[in-house]
Amino acid sequence: MTNANLSCKQIVELMTGYLDGTLPAEQREHVARHLESCGGCTMVLDQFRDTIALSGQLTEEAVTPAQERTIREAFRSWRAGR
Amino acid sequence: MDERRASGDDLALLERLRAGDEDAFMELVNALGPAMRRVARMFVSTDAVADEVVQDAWLGVLQGLDRYEGRASLRTWIFKILVNIAKTRGQREGRSVPFAAIAGEDLDEPAFDPSMFNSSGEAWAGHWSTLPFDWRGLPEERTTGRETLRAIGTAIDTLPPMQAEVIRLRDVLGWTSDEVRNALDLTETNQRVLLHRARAKVRRALEEHLRSVSQA
Repeated sequence: MTNANLSCKQIVELMTGYLDGTLPAEQREHVARHLESCGGCTMVLDQFRDTIALSGQLTEEAVTPAQERTIREAFRSWRAGR
Repeated sequence: MDERRASGDDLALLERLRAGDEDAFMELVNALGPAMRRVARMFVSTDAVADEVVQDAWLGVLQGLDRYEGRASLRTWIFKILVNIAKTRGQREGRSVPFAAIAGEDLDEPAFDPSMFNSSGEAWAGHWSTLPFDWRGLPEERTTGRETLRAIGTAIDTLPPMQAEVIRLRDVLGWTSDEVRNALDLTETNQRVLLHRARAKVRRALEEHLRSVSQA
């Protein structure tokens, strides 16, 4: 990474790494500095946070009853053979 | 960042499994089963074969319980068994699945539409020319309602399968990046790129949904 200021177009591509805390220190510093003075990128970062929080409210589908039965039977024969 | 090792919960669960506790086992089957089926389905040709792969994976888990040393979290270990079986089964079916087919053809492209930024000849090149819709002013019951969750769910369902699975494991189910990378046999970079693209598309769908809500 050079010392040149990053543009918004580059910053948005780093947001997942920024939120995960996986950016190299220097790059992380660039993003943090950019965010201090860029309302647009700050808003989009907050939108990523909203997206993640809302995704966390989704519920997982269920295992089909037939599949559950088959696996339960497999478990019972495994246990019987132990 | 180190791989997440078995947690205290994992070890407690492991004890119950080794003792033959059916409820503990079925709890795990229900928690992981749907994701396992979707992951298996990426590598094999039909839902029925994916179901068989999942069954074989659970057998492998049971037979391997005594060998599990807790070096990875329990769910990561289970998914590694699953992915191995699914890939082998896919190969045996003569099905070769190129990475791009499940990861999406768009991984090298920017996740944000370049037309939202000033182009390189213009002043302030690379800076916003059009900002996304700002939903901060909307009342919370509009932004977090059931319709919003449905819009997010639909957006995830339409992603390329590996992007969909990475965002489900990370953001819906709350796995760590290391767990997902190891479970799905991805490099660190690929995990991040897949997640970023997925989140950017879901953010975009959320933006469109909230824009229409604000105009209603």
